[in-house]
Amino acid sequence: MCGIVGYLGEDPAGPIVYKGLQNLEYRGYDSAGVALVGEELTVQKRSGEVGALSVPEIPSAVCGIGHTRWSTHGPPTDENAHPHTGLTGEVAVVHNGIIENYESLRESLSDRTFTSQTDTEVIPHLLEIELENGHDLYTALNRVVSQLEGSFAICAVHAGRNEIVATRNQSPLVLGHAKDGVFLGSDVTAFLEHTRDVTYLEDGDIAVLRPGDVHVYRDGTEIAYPIETVEWEADAAEKGGYEHFMRKEIHEQPASLRQTLSGRIDLDRGAVELDLEFPKGYLSSVEEIQFVACGTSYYASLYAARLFEEIADIRATVSIASEYTFDGGRDPWRTLTIAVTQSGETADTLGAIRRAKRAGAQTLAVTNMLGSSVSREVKNSVFIRAGPEIGVAATKTFASQVTTLALLAVYLGRERGVLSPSDARSILEDLRGLPGGIQQVLDKEASVKEAAVAYQDSDAFFFVGRRHGYPVALEGALKLKEISYDHAEGFAAGELKHGPLALVTDNTPVLAVLTDGGNIPNTVNNLVEAQTRGAPAIGAISESHEIDSLDVGFEVPDAGLFEPLIANVYFQLFAYHVANEKGRPIDKPRNLAKSVTVG
Amino acid sequence: MANQTPPAVILAAGEGRRLEPLTNRRPKPMLPVANRPLLEYVVEAVENAGLDRIIFVVGYYEERIRNHFGDGDSWDVDIEYVTQEKQLGTAHALLQAAPLINEPFVLLNGDRIVESKLVSDVQETLETTGGPVVSVTHAENPRHYGVVELDGSATRIQSITEKPTGPIQSNLINAGVYGFDQSIFEEITQTTTDSGELAITTTLTNLLADQDVHVVQYRGQWLDVSYLWDLLTVNAALAGQRSGERSPESDKVSIAADTAIGSDVEIGPHASIGGGTAIGANATVEANAVIINSIIFPDTVIEAGAVVRDAVISENARVGANVTIAGGDTQMVVDGTVYKDIALGGVVGDNATLGGAVTIAPGTVVGDGASIDDGGIISGHIESDAIVRRG
Repeated sequence: MCGIVGYLGEDPAGPIVYKGLQNLEYRGYDSAGVALVGEELTVQKRSGEVGALSVPEIPSAVCGIGHTRWSTHGPPTDENAHPHTGLTGEVAVVHNGIIENYESLRESLSDRTFTSQTDTEVIPHLLEIELENGHDLYTALNRVVSQLEGSFAICAVHAGRNEIVATRNQSPLVLGHAKDGVFLGSDVTAFLEHTRDVTYLEDGDIAVLRPGDVHVYRDGTEIAYPIETVEWEADAAEKGGYEHFMRKEIHEQPASLRQTLSGRIDLDRGAVELDLEFPKGYLSSVEEIQFVACGTSYYASLYAARLFEEIADIRATVSIASEYTFDGGRDPWRTLTIAVTQSGETADTLGAIRRAKRAGAQTLAVTNMLGSSVSREVKNSVFIRAGPEIGVAATKTFASQVTTLALLAVYLGRERGVLSPSDARSILEDLRGLPGGIQQVLDKEASVKEAAVAYQDSDAFFFVGRRHGYPVALEGALKLKEISYDHAEGFAAGELKHGPLALVTDNTPVLAVLTDGGNIPNTVNNLVEAQTRGAPAIGAISESHEIDSLDVGFEVPDAGLFEPLIANVYFQLFAYHVANEKGRPIDKPRNLAKSVTVG
Repeated sequence: MANQTPPAVILAAGEGRRLEPLTNRRPKPMLPVANRPLLEYVVEAVENAGLDRIIFVVGYYEERIRNHFGDGDSWDVDIEYVTQEKQLGTAHALLQAAPLINEPFVLLNGDRIVESKLVSDVQETLETTGGPVVSVTHAENPRHYGVVELDGSATRIQSITEKPTGPIQSNLINAGVYGFDQSIFEEITQTTTDSGELAITTTLTNLLADQDVHVVQYRGQWLDVSYLWDLLTVNAALAGQRSGERSPESDKVSIAADTAIGSDVEIGPHASIGGGTAIGANATVEANAVIINSIIFPDTVIEAGAVVRDAVISENARVGANVTIAGGDTQMVVDGTVYKDIALGGVVGDNATLGGAVTIAPGTVVGDGASIDDGGIISGHIESDAIVRRG
């Protein structure tokens, strides 16, 4: 999980590659480096953030590659940073992913000296050997790739020639075609300010970039590669006057949800319009929905699974993607497996959806990234349209995921004939009310900040909720722990007394989702149990209720099934302000990266 | 670099208290007319004049501004932000931008709609004279503004009097677009005040004693929103100029030409949208509703059969079935002054709810978050978050 940039064109490559690395910094950031091509290669790399890297000024170097690293094999040191070189320094390589058989490869190269603990370093050595055998760089890469097992995106350069070769296997790699040059990136944000015309490489493709032309080879023959246009604006990925992307993205939720809903709702007919193609009669015959997801997407799926059960009257299960073993369920022909992933590149989720597909299940992706690996893996995708999310902690994409999945549930309910138009209409009206409801919460940020300041020094934070409030409790705890480094846990409210209550003290606030439909009286009882032990109680409460016993109460506007989703915005703001008071690097919490492309 | 255009400082920190309840949750420059905030028109005037660096002075509910404008790329300008923590007047606001400026600059108000010609005229005069430059325009009711007297040659300012109460010699008013060099910051720090607020015009008046203040005369579009009802006038003037926005494709709906309809607005069968109306994104207008000469903010729901005339319905409000806002002339009292013959059917604040068949008398202002029970007959001023029950 890291970021790759490559450039070959008319302008000095150093500054362009450096800017690309900055754009990608959110993917991983414990070390960074570049290699610039001249008669000799100039390699500069070190541990630390991209800002700590000084890129040599070589105006004549118009070809270069760069990398930001998030450690998997070997700690973040200068030596382990990419690019990696072989014995002679003739070849430099950047790599994302994992070479699973690197140990045996390394043994076969026992006569050569290795300077790092990375799996990557075998690649430049292998390339050098092929070059020494008289092969050109393309053929060398082709021969080396056949020896590699695992997931990888690789870019390589060699001394004395302006040329980049690149390939991928289960790790993203994109070409960008600009007027004065060609770009490579692990995602489009690497070069979005230069061009929106991109080619998504497929697994096994090898791209060869030379001055003025680009060739893509598949199975040894050159192919005519398609060029697609990316719709995102580069500026949407910039901070727009906010101190942190996370706060910007929290505040963007009304606008991004309007985008999520845009053009998909027909209130007159009580229908949802989604562009899906399944075999005729398939959706009526489906017996199980399997969600596979990780992290925040997993919690969004938990929320959705209940919605599918309630709205579409269908059995729905949720698996953490890395724990997914029931490929395609009991009857794969009547199972729909839905991959929920913001980036569309999450390795665990990709692995799970591939297994479901292989077992014969129909597959569907719910993602924020057009052209991402997952959307190319499955036949049907629904885009959540949240726009670029840069903060590592997912905020607006959670809201858009749940909203998109709710639309999907209504769609399925109507297709299966189990949801009446008028019931559908009522759900859809609640969804259309979400942007306004969330804005109401955002307008109260000052009072959330006040609570965050008051409780920031607590020993731990517990989040509880029932029904749809339960996944939101889990998500609220995840948000807080991710960015503030505080101990935070989410529980089903009823579970508090079955164990976690032992952790409760007068210095562990309990934050509760107290929304209509989530059995408010029972959750209040659970809260009282905690308050009896001295714990402060903070609640997000439906506006139709008043609960005097709370230490802090936040009002949640009326939104039917989606009130917990609005309550979640309070938790997002709470987490943000706790972390901000503590001066945490909110957009780039330690040890975390945005899209986890390693398994 | 040679040939660089001056930066533009836009003051957008103001609260706009006279426009409550609409300004309870957003700064005045973010009030929408024809579905775009006032401030966006100002940014466009600046951009069309060829200026590409903008500094926003923000404060009150600044997130609304940052969310909408970001770094300015969508308008082809670079926007930077400085925050005025306390509202201590326009000159104090300008002073916040001082660290970002080391060249002559243009200053504008974020809530006055002007044409780009005014901006470029001020810029030209600034370049030829070195400033300071004050722009003036004609007004029908100059007493509401800063009345300006010119000297004999009509190229320099003789006096500026804020909202004069005595006899006035001119109907020229301060148009609110200025040109300054950095020396203005020094002048501001030397300006004293006994009201607690530092106004630009106070500093300018001090300058007049020992310096020429140059003038730009302007006769183009100059739209100011001082009072709630001004919003409707300005909206109607601009709704007609906006075209090309998506209209619902139903032939069962009647929509006048001079309307602005935002994206993903749902309009039910036989609804009628009359002239001078703007409807914001993601709003819902149900069957048979009638909306005339009104501003409907985003996310609002107008239920079946409601009649909404000469009204402003703010964000995420709900207007119940068969609500009647009949419109028509009224009189209103603002800050102790009586304004007669005001065309204002009513104002409904953010997140407020009008129950079914509520009747709203002309000039009624319903505070944000207020809730009116079914069948209520409402007039006057309803406080924010109030709950009005029948009986």
